[in-house]
Amino acid sequence: MRYSLVRQILILAVLALIPAVGGAVYFRHKISWRSAILPSEMVTVDQARAWGENVIWVDARPDEEFARDHVPAALSLNEDRWNELLPQFLAAWSPGKKIVVYCSSLGCNASREVARRLRREAQLPDVFVLEGGWEEWLKKR
Amino acid sequence: MKTHIVAFALSILISLSARAELKWEQTMIELHPTSADKQAIGHFKYQNPGKTPVRFKSVHASCGCTTAQTQKDEVPPGGTGEITATFNIGDRTGTQVKTVTVETDDAANTKTVLTLRTIIPQQLEINPTFVFWKQGDKADPKTITVKVGKEFTVKHIKVTSSSPDFQTKVEETGKGEFKVDVQPKETNNLVASTLSIQPEDSQKVFYATARITNSPVVQ
Repeated sequence: MRYSLVRQILILAVLALIPAVGGAVYFRHKISWRSAILPSEMVTVDQARAWGENVIWVDARPDEEFARDHVPAALSLNEDRWNELLPQFLAAWSPGKKIVVYCSSLGCNASREVARRLRREAQLPDVFVLEGGWEEWLKKR
Repeated sequence: MKTHIVAFALSILISLSARAELKWEQTMIELHPTSADKQAIGHFKYQNPGKTPVRFKSVHASCGCTTAQTQKDEVPPGGTGEITATFNIGDRTGTQVKTVTVETDDAANTKTVLTLRTIIPQQLEINPTFVFWKQGDKADPKTITVKVGKEFTVKHIKVTSSSPDFQTKVEETGKGEFKVDVQPKETNNLVASTLSIQPEDSQKVFYATARITNSPVVQ
């Protein structure tokens, strides 16, 4: 009886494995749409707030969302108008300042992309992505 | 016992074959817009091979830069159509992967993720796009490297500073690369300049910024 139960579990497990393996092979070339980011490049709302005045908040959301509401004193810097907005951001930056970039929520990617470009193209240090984005900031407002 | 397993396996197979599901021509599209294009548009075509209608519950893009439109709310049996995904390129560069999640009322396969991969050609790659000097620093030149994209030919570039406080000098280093030396006249005043970098015979302008900043914040 016990042997039969084990055998049945094994058979069902093998049956479940077939579509799983098939899916893994079929989707092996699928790419993640989210930019990779190191955990050390993420920051929570509480951590960022603890930095006080030494932070520049960067809103990576589209213009309409920024116009609706944003973190106080945040600067808009999105990829729709990167070339136009970047000089305005750079005019506000000074060495030693930490940069915290946010987009709408945990699932958005815009903040990661903006942070990546600030690090890679403008070669700025201390660029962080806000965990949970604007949604998380609202919860802790 | 064997009968139970066979019955179980058969029931799964039957339920899989009986479901009403949209059949997609492709769920991933790669687009290669030109450098002048403002949008990249992907057409995801589908068919309903089942015997019952399929209704769209939601169509949601992964990014505010992408919109997705269905032609109809319901697809009758044997019906065809497409979802049009429009990606607004803006000032984005490189390879952009955006997704559109389609939810239908088909209980067996409610969600389908459509992927739009857009390769944006980059005529010039500028690195870094920002050079700065701290107030009081020595006014030494700093170098910006300008690389020509693989699919482009640029023999000369023109660099213009918006402010006379900074001077620029362009040097061609070969292999489609240029060296732009930027030098402030002095570093006592907090001044900034936008550097316009333009390939010859092209309307497209690229930008970099040069600035004299104040001293670091002391914590």
